[in-house]
Amino acid sequence: MNAFQGRVTAALADPTLKTAIDRTTNTARSKRAAAIAAWPEFAQARELGRDMKDHVIANMEYYLTMFEANAVKTGAKIHWARTGQEACEIVVGICKAAKAKSVTRSKSMLGEEIGLPHALEAAGIERVETDLAEHIIQLAGETPSHIIWPALHKTREQVGELFRAHHTDPGELATVEEMVSSARRNLREKFMAADVGISGANFLIADTGAICTVTNEGNAELTTTPPRVHIVTAGIEKLVPSMVEAMTMLRLLVRSATGAELTQYTTFHAGPKQPGDVDGPEEFHIVLVDAGRTTMLAEGLAEMLRCLRCGACMNHCVVYRQIGGHAYGATYPGPMGSVITPSLDGLETSQDLPRACTLNGQCHEVCPVAIPLPTLIRGWRTKAWVQGYEPLHTAWALRIWEFFALRPVLYQLASNLALRIMPLFAKGGWISKMPLAGGWTRYRDMPIPQGGSFLAQYKKRQAAK
Amino acid sequence: MKNNPPRVALFATCLVDAMRPQIGFAALALLEQVNCLVEVPMGQTCCGQPALNSGDQDGTRKIAKHNIKLLAGFDHVVVPSGSCAATIKKDYPDLFETDPVWHAKAVDLANRTYELLSYMSDIWGWRPKNVSCATTATYHDSCSGLRSLNVQAQPRAMLASVAGLEMRPLEGANVCCGFGGTFCVKYPDISNAIVAEKAAAINATGADLLLGGDLGCLMNMAGKLHRDGSKIRAFHAAEILAGMGDGPAIGETA
Amino acid sequence: MTDAKQAIFAAIRKTLPAPAPAPTIAAELSQLRARINATRPDRVSGPADEVFLERVQSPGVAATAERINSFDEFPAAVMRYAVRHNLGLDIALQPHPDLATLNWSGCQTHDHIGTDETLAVGLALGGIAETGSLIFHSSQISPTLFAFLPLHHIVAIPYKNIWPWMEDYVASFAGKSPPRNVNFVTGASGTTDIEGALVRGAHGPGWLHIVVVGSPGL
Ligand code: SF4
Repeated sequence: MNAFQGRVTAALADPTLKTAIDRTTNTARSKRAAAIAAWPEFAQARELGRDMKDHVIANMEYYLTMFEANAVKTGAKIHWARTGQEACEIVVGICKAAKAKSVTRSKSMLGEEIGLPHALEAAGIERVETDLAEHIIQLAGETPSHIIWPALHKTREQVGELFRAHHTDPGELATVEEMVSSARRNLREKFMAADVGISGANFLIADTGAICTVTNEGNAELTTTPPRVHIVTAGIEKLVPSMVEAMTMLRLLVRSATGAELTQYTTFHAGPKQPGDVDGPEEFHIVLVDAGRTTMLAEGLAEMLRCLRCGACMNHCVVYRQIGGHAYGATYPGPMGSVITPSLDGLETSQDLPRACTLNGQCHEVCPVAIPLPTLIRGWRTKAWVQGYEPLHTAWALRIWEFFALRPVLYQLASNLALRIMPLFAKGGWISKMPLAGGWTRYRDMPIPQGGSFLAQYKKRQAAK
Repeated sequence: MKNNPPRVALFATCLVDAMRPQIGFAALALLEQVNCLVEVPMGQTCCGQPALNSGDQDGTRKIAKHNIKLLAGFDHVVVPSGSCAATIKKDYPDLFETDPVWHAKAVDLANRTYELLSYMSDIWGWRPKNVSCATTATYHDSCSGLRSLNVQAQPRAMLASVAGLEMRPLEGANVCCGFGGTFCVKYPDISNAIVAEKAAAINATGADLLLGGDLGCLMNMAGKLHRDGSKIRAFHAAEILAGMGDGPAIGETA
Repeated sequence: MTDAKQAIFAAIRKTLPAPAPAPTIAAELSQLRARINATRPDRVSGPADEVFLERVQSPGVAATAERINSFDEFPAAVMRYAVRHNLGLDIALQPHPDLATLNWSGCQTHDHIGTDETLAVGLALGGIAETGSLIFHSSQISPTLFAFLPLHHIVAIPYKNIWPWMEDYVASFAGKSPPRNVNFVTGASGTTDIEGALVRGAHGPGWLHIVVVGSPGL
């Protein structure tokens, strides 16, 4: 059993995981469905969103240059990082220069992707995750299992235990309300005491140099306003030409993610504190990170760079909903993860991800920017086949199958022979065990074939006419 | 439709050919009702989807070329499976993107190819007459047919004209059953977890029959239902529409 | 550092051609923009202020709201709210001149926001009818944290400053240099991070009360 299948086995055996996944994703799917039903223009908006992102990606150099120039005008300091490691070094460097003892972080998938939490800890800087789910994950010493609800795998009972162990004066913790209020009390002083606040960016606004964050809790603003320094880490694909396009993207993103029309807090951050401002950081840094984006571009995965990180594809994925996010063994789970991870981590170690997919297409259907996820997933299978990663037994089975499929007469001979053998394994119409069919019959019965092949029977009938 | 009856090739698919010829005969019966001149080209084997979904594009191209040649000259090619029809209609042209000659041939075949249920309804406006099946049934939308070919309303509209048949809605009818071709044998544990959920939804309808338009998915669901001792029986919708609902269901011996 | 930038740009160039001339890109963009109106949820059918009031109280936004005739009535509205919620009348008052000149007798006010503030009272720059959002631009008279630290936030908004669509707000500031923060506030803080259950008051305010000031008829 390989590592992926080991994680799958563990996930499927977990007594609470499926319940936890269902509680969140079922709500997410029904809320999204209601939001889309109330938006008859969704199909057109989705195409527009797709085209807007494609426009930006096709003109990435142009818009990056524009963004940099405008961000500098707001007083932001721009940094460029080729790799995740480079990005982490830049962030840690800024923290050290600011003599930071404590940093607050507002959830950013890019941060997770590049290993920023670890880098901060390694540098001896206290890291406080402020998104409630990330806070839970941090207390549990785990990694996110979903890109919108990182702690989705935790039941309320498990969260209660964590808070009881780690919070000061947690109170009763009998209800989710009490848990949220305990987190609010425990994080409040941390927000105000942090030296540096780190956020991601949902959008980079090219024509103003602002960056956009969206949260429902209000933790992004509490992370970025009180500290002396605000650092943004953002993937270079996050660009939109202007605020106008950001509005279209927000309509798509938020409905797809949570079913709301807009997040409670949608904020455009431009530079540090301005003259006269009562609050805000003195320094504002933006780290623009490649970390594999240009490689994806070169690998024919440009469409993947449209991704808004809304999570709809995983909420609707039958595989994700059984095995959860951790089984994917990477930062990004679900269908989008199965496309991104082979590019970021290499196909050899992640070849199971594109293979463990039924190609049912629901992810594509719900994706707010129409990323053809099944096509891209199948593209990885093609690469895996060409590079010889397909397990030998299935590769040979397929080659033998192809050999016959191209030789109809032999095919019919072989097939009718097999059809005569199969019933030998049957009991009352069904086969519950048969050599070479364990993958099927471990969990399901196989109906016995009805008799000779259709072509053979048809030929007989025609002859009898 | 032109006055001359079209020459139609029935592409039965490898699964129907081997496992359930009755679906092939049901398809023939339906096509004959709309006066098609139906032929069953003897050189047919498989559409190549197992190769395509395993990443073997070269192997798939060989099979595609075989089928393109085999199916040349027919006015229409009809397939009793949404997923195999989609392979021919959507994937064949993509496979020959860099080969203009074969690309043109693939597009030509794609334009002539139809999934059976949508063909009967969309092209011929056909509805069953004097077909009865006094029972309750529920319908599962197989993914490729649904998402690639828009097969959804047609089977339901036709089944509504079957006398005595009461259709029960299936919660999550548009959600994958966990079959996924080779997926179900490569990742049996995940596939089982998915089909278990599907089977629970099917059982919850309380219907007597499970209907669908793709034998692969039907075998997966019926096999799970049978393993778990459910009494629900499964048919391809074409069988019911062709009046063969009184025969053996999937997995039943005659 | 510039090395990294150059390397990234070189990597982009490997796949993509050199950027098209700016006018070509601008032309393509304006074609995209022409499609926006047809994609907006068709919902702002009535006067913006009325749609706004309805949206902010809809289940999705779930703020409370009322309308008063003039600014003079605002302190009384605040006091009514405070009494209703048993809050006491120690108010963090956003340092906005239009608020400072009102008659707050009967309350204690201070012009800064504390970490554990119970009640803050503010004035939004404007609002968006489509989404039921309040808009704040950070400045000397509009500190960002006023919208995030209090438990209860009462916000006045002049009815004239309500834009029908998000794009209308954007258009009215196009070309101006942005404030440090533009905040769209759409309802009270909430989280669904534990089992998908919605709980208000995650980190930001648990209650948002909106007071629309004036109406077209007056
Ligand atoms: S791939 Fe599409 S659906 Fe999935 S997270 Fe990205 S934008 Fe959302």
